[in-house]
This record gives sequence, structure tokens and C-alpha cells, in this order.
Amino acid sequence: MSQEFHLSDQELLMAVDGELSDHAAERVQSHLAACWACRARKQEIETTIGEFMRFQRESFNHRFPSPEGPRALLRAQMAQLASVQANPWASWFRFISQRLSWAAVAGVLILAGVTYLGFRTWQQSSARLIAVTTPNPALTPGATVLVDQREICMETGVKNKDVPVALRKRVFDEYGIRSADPRAYEVDYLITPALGGADDIHNLWPESNRAAVWNAEVKDSLEDHLRDLVCDGRLDLATAQREIATNWIEAYKKYFHTDRPVTGLRN
Amino acid sequence: MAEPPMLDCPPESRTLLDASFAEAQAGSPLAIDEKMVSLFDEVRVPLLRYLSAFPLAIPDAEDVIQETFLALFQQLQRGKSHHYVRGWLFRAAHNLAIKKAVRSRSDIERTGSLIAVEELVIDPALNPEDQFAFNQTQKRLMSVVRALPQQQRWCLYLRAEGLRYREIAEVLDMSLGAVSLSLERSLAHIARAAQR
Repeated sequence: MSQEFHLSDQELLMAVDGELSDHAAERVQSHLAACWACRARKQEIETTIGEFMRFQRESFNHRFPSPEGPRALLRAQMAQLASVQANPWASWFRFISQRLSWAAVAGVLILAGVTYLGFRTWQQSSARLIAVTTPNPALTPGATVLVDQREICMETGVKNKDVPVALRKRVFDEYGIRSADPRAYEVDYLITPALGGADDIHNLWPESNRAAVWNAEVKDSLEDHLRDLVCDGRLDLATAQREIATNWIEAYKKYFHTDRPVTGLRN
Repeated sequence: MAEPPMLDCPPESRTLLDASFAEAQAGSPLAIDEKMVSLFDEVRVPLLRYLSAFPLAIPDAEDVIQETFLALFQQLQRGKSHHYVRGWLFRAAHNLAIKKAVRSRSDIERTGSLIAVEELVIDPALNPEDQFAFNQTQKRLMSVVRALPQQQRWCLYLRAEGLRYREIAEVLDMSLGAVSLSLERSLAHIARAAQR
């Protein structure tokens, strides 16, 4: 082979990257076998790639935020998208909105807004009638784990775990909530884990957190209060579990001595 | 955003991941969710490194990645094909990042919080003299990489994430020859900076 010519840097780079055709790769290999200058140049290219990769990895290693938050956000957004797609009204709306003019869409939206506001007003005035304030005992009788008062009270700051999306969907399905806004509900533990409640579908129900008077926030304050009573030794754990599972509203009235929820009990 | 078409890459460039996605798509919606999360875990950091070639702050880059994955999720739910998921993600993220960078340029100018970090790395394995030399090299490389024309920087970062020339050409809408030339020029600049 003639030594009069040398390979270009572009050819050498493509050879390093495995981007040459079989024929061209063979020609380059044959030249490299005979030409020290081109081999040295090829080595320099590889060294430069190594320098860049080292620079890039060192610059960014451990600099990005941990993936937990973004991962959880992605899960939540996918669940929301899936629920919108499962809702036939959402696809109907998409169909209409793609075909109507913007003016018509704006008109429909204004009408829908007025209707919605009217509905909310009516809903708030008759919240007891439409909101899920107590669980269906056939679906959610309550379930507990084997734990005693001492173990319960040793753990401080116990919070309800997030219910996995799939389980939350099963709860909504059981209660026939398919087209309602899932954000209007909190899938809550009937017997809170802070009182020994189990991660079990029989202990989960969709509790209204916006419309009802007897909502999730009110129940949370009852849970806090019962746990205090249990840990102070003023109430038996089994009794607390039974009372909250049987009828938490009655339990609230009994332990707070009131017929109406008391506001501002929780921080 | 107009969704990029699915890339039709040669079979040898498709990964096992793409095959497992096909299985998930044929199965239950939950299987798609899990595959999406697994893909997210695998590709998030490479995408963040690639997006560092744009004038974006980290939260903006994270937003771009979320939007990219949601676009993919919607495509999969609609039963669209997915011959080369990884390449598609880079292309979609690239398109979204361009839009986002235009919108957030004023924020960047105000805060100066570029994703490409200025801080230098402390390597405990190096003695002080070597550490100093290493930091000087890092500084030079950083300034050279930042000074590269945008297209060259994108090419370089995509190649660093393992994309082949054909895939880079698809993402950046360039010819194969232009990709090869761009990489060669970038490396020449870097080589000069590293040798100084």
C-alpha cells in the first residue's frame, strides 16, 4: 500500500465509531496496519473522546436531583391521563372541541362554567345527600393488623401511606365512581394505620374531601384525638378501632361532644 | 407540540427495551405504566445530560422530560408503533427543549442558573497538584464545549449518550455527512483545549 496518502480525521472518527461500510472499514484497517502516523492519529481521537466523556461525567455526576420526586410526578400524571381517557365525556369533549370554532368552544365553556357554579352551589347546600361521607360496610368493613397499644404509641408521626394508583382505581370502581373528578375524593383508610389499620381494600374508601361537611379533614382530627386517648390509656385500642369502623361520624360526635364538626382542630 | 414521527431505525439499533415495550403494550395498561416508569429511571439522567446542551435550568429540563414521557404515554395508549423508543424520546425532548429554551431565556438571564454547572469537582484520589491540573483542564473543556456552535454541541452530546450517526441525523434533521463532520470538528476543538 502506498504511504503517500493518509486517512482524514473524519474517516478515522467514523472507523472508531463503527460507522463505515464494510468495504470502507476494510480499506481503513488495511491502511492502519501499514501507517503509524494514522494509527497515532486514531489513538489521539480516542483519547479526546475519553477526555470529553470524563469531563461530562465528572461535571454531572451527583448533580441532578434524586429521581423519586420526578418519578412520582410522572406516575400521578399518567394516572390522571389514563382516567381522562377512560372517561367517555372527555373524548366527547375532545371530539367537539376539535371541530367547533374557538368562539363556539368559548360559548360552550362559559355555559359549562355557569352550570358548574350552579351545580357547586346546589351541591354545597345538599352535601349530605350526594357526598360519600361514610363507607359502605359491605365494601369497607375495616381491617387491622396485629399490633397492640404499646407498639402503636411507640411510633410517633405515623402518616397514612399513599394508596397505590391501581388500588385507588379498584376502590373507585367498587364504589361506582367512574366519571367523577377523583380529586374530589381522598381514598382514605377507614381505620387509620396510626390506630393499627391495614393496607387492605376492605379498609379503604373514597372519602369526599371538598363537598361534604363530614369530610376527610374532619375524620383526620377524630383519628388524632382517638390516638391521643389510646396512648394516654384513656381508651382501649380495640374500642377505638371498632367505633371508628362502625360509624366514624357518631364516634366524632361522641368523643368531641358536638353534633357539628369543630373547625381548626388540626394544624 | 407536533409529535415527532416514530423513528424507523435499522433493527440492530433497537434495544431490548423496545422489545419489552412491545410486550407491555400488548398487555394491560398497568404493564405500560410500569414499563414507562422503568424507562424513565433508565433514560432520565441521559436526557438531563443531553438537555444540558440547552440554556435550561434543571427544573425546566425536568419539565421537558415529564412532557416527553407523557407524550410517549399518550402515543402508546393510542396503540401507536414504537420501533425505537429511546431515539424517539431524544427527538421529542429536543423539540420541546427548543421551545422551552426560547420561553425561559429571560429567566435564565435573570437567574443565571444554567444546568451546566460551574463548580469544579473534587476528586479525593488526586493530590493537590493533580487536582489543580485536572480542574484547569475541566475549565478549558467547559469553555470550549460552551463555545461550540449549537448544532455541533447537540451532535456531540447525543453521540456521548450512545446514539448512532443515523439516529443523531434523525433527531437533528441533518444528513449523515453533516453529523460526521460536526463530530470531527467538535473533537478537534476539544483536543486542542485538552492539550494546552
